[in-house]
Amino acid sequence: MSSNALGLFGDPVSALAAAGTLKDAGFARPELMSPIPIHGVEEVLGPKKSVIRRFTLFGAIFGGLGGFALAAGTAVLYVHPTGGRPVITFPPFLIITYEMTILFGILATVLGFLISARFPAIRERVYAPETAVDKFAVTVTCDNEDTFSRAAAILRAAGAEEVRNIREGE
Amino acid sequence: MPTEEKPLQFADVNNDIVRSLVVTGRNYYITLGIAMFVALACFFFPWFYQLYYGIGAAGMNHPTVWGTYLASFIFWIGLSHSGTLLSCVLHITNSEWRKAMYRSAEAMTLFSLLVAATMVMVHVGRPWFIHWAAPYPNQMGLWPNFKSPLLFDVMAITTYLTGSLIFIYMGSIPDFAAVRDRTSGWRRHLYVLLSLGWRGTDTEWHRLGWAYTFLAVLIIPLAVSVHSIVSWDFAMSLVPGLHQTIFAPYFVVGAIYSGTAGIVTVMFVLRKYMNFEHLITQLHFDNLGKLLLFLSLLWTYINMLELFTGWYSGTSAEYEQIKYKLTGFYAPLYWEMILFCAVAPLLMFSTKFRTSFVPMLVLSIAINIGMYTERFLIIATTLSRQYLPDAWGVYVPSLVEISILVGSLAVFVTLFLIFVKIFPSVSIYEVKETMPQPRKREANLES
Repeated sequence: MSSNALGLFGDPVSALAAAGTLKDAGFARPELMSPIPIHGVEEVLGPKKSVIRRFTLFGAIFGGLGGFALAAGTAVLYVHPTGGRPVITFPPFLIITYEMTILFGILATVLGFLISARFPAIRERVYAPETAVDKFAVTVTCDNEDTFSRAAAILRAAGAEEVRNIREGE
Repeated sequence: MPTEEKPLQFADVNNDIVRSLVVTGRNYYITLGIAMFVALACFFFPWFYQLYYGIGAAGMNHPTVWGTYLASFIFWIGLSHSGTLLSCVLHITNSEWRKAMYRSAEAMTLFSLLVAATMVMVHVGRPWFIHWAAPYPNQMGLWPNFKSPLLFDVMAITTYLTGSLIFIYMGSIPDFAAVRDRTSGWRRHLYVLLSLGWRGTDTEWHRLGWAYTFLAVLIIPLAVSVHSIVSWDFAMSLVPGLHQTIFAPYFVVGAIYSGTAGIVTVMFVLRKYMNFEHLITQLHFDNLGKLLLFLSLLWTYINMLELFTGWYSGTSAEYEQIKYKLTGFYAPLYWEMILFCAVAPLLMFSTKFRTSFVPMLVLSIAINIGMYTERFLIIATTLSRQYLPDAWGVYVPSLVEISILVGSLAVFVTLFLIFVKIFPSVSIYEVKETMPQPRKREANLES
């Protein structure tokens, strides 16, 4: 049964250094937890890619096309002749297009955020409540007791104030 | 940040915010009780009366068929431009001072929009047909006319309300998690749901940062479009004094102006009554004061321009409109507006004034009184003096209308008071970001 080594630190610099050491020692995907965003994570743990921008782009395109189709489609289906002017008129319909572009861009951004950050959490995940206040934590998944001991040693050497062994589902 | 005897620690911020949520004094309940009573007595009861007896209970009649309901609608939409728009602009320009105040400002946006939407319901007279504005298949063959600014309004306000709600919620997720760990009972259940299982991992912060910035970038043009569209409700008519191209920027500037003044009022109240003295400081009032001063100068310029273009048009109807505005029945209100919104704000050239809390509060309230007057005058002066002199008339709001205006303020206050006990009203993690970061302890260094 796999467990997780969680080291608690009092400052972000030590936590970040510990995460880097764990990564260099061969541990897969060390995770940082913090009360604020930590700068320099990507330099230590590698660049992060996010699909959110694609969600935003496609959501906005879908919204724009849908908005124009709604306005133009309505005008074609329910023709309302006004002084010989065209049925599909761009200036007013572009406003509907604009609003729907933004609305669906926003909704798609939220969807992208939820999917890419894996929210909402259905199962219990590794967590230390102190990290919502003033502590910084580093966690790694360990396959067995030996791996846990090795990770704990690295965390302590990096200045962890406390190391916890958290089993899955606890 | 504060530099009293003991510097503020990360844990102090959590303690302060949790305390503001769970510790509730007698004064809070008394204020909430009064606000709810006024909302019921002055807003919902007169509205019910109007629904029962008909729209004639309001003072609107030919030629002034729009009245205080629409003035209130513009006012509340305008006030909504404070929060989310300002917060977005300050977010993408990395303004540190935004962090202590943006959450409440965004809440202002949300509740102002809700009150504004309710004012439309009150204005239309038969709100049970409001769904006719939505495009849905129906047996009546009735579809909305997307060439009408009223439909633009429905789209824009729905989008802005959705965007503002999502923006304030997204920014609050880490804070819900922080208070989740410190509360119990129904609050804990609520925050467990709202925090979505947030743990503050590097991946979660990364995703939140991206999504939040994208939302900010999307909402800025949206906010500008919302009040431009509100202005077209008027400017696309052919009424002298309303049919002006300057109206869109005029409304947007007026909205941001009244909204920023609204933020000053709310900041003062939060600082004083939620004991946030060390979080909301003179720096915030100083910066907001500079912004208000700039906006007041811009607003004054546009007002002068409005008079100039009317005069330069050379048409008798526009001349009459200007003359009526400056010297007619509503002239005292016009000059009150100029005093409150163009002259008094010049005091903010003084740093001492900007950093004084009570004078800034008084001025912010005066500005919003002036801005309400502006919205009232836009409707009342123009519709009272249209092309034909035999159709001229004066509009005075009825008691029902005045009562609903006062009541709308109470509805806003009630919603805000409930908000401050559910949402962390100051962003915990963003305030922490402005503080000195925890450093390596000596013991660690030695080892």
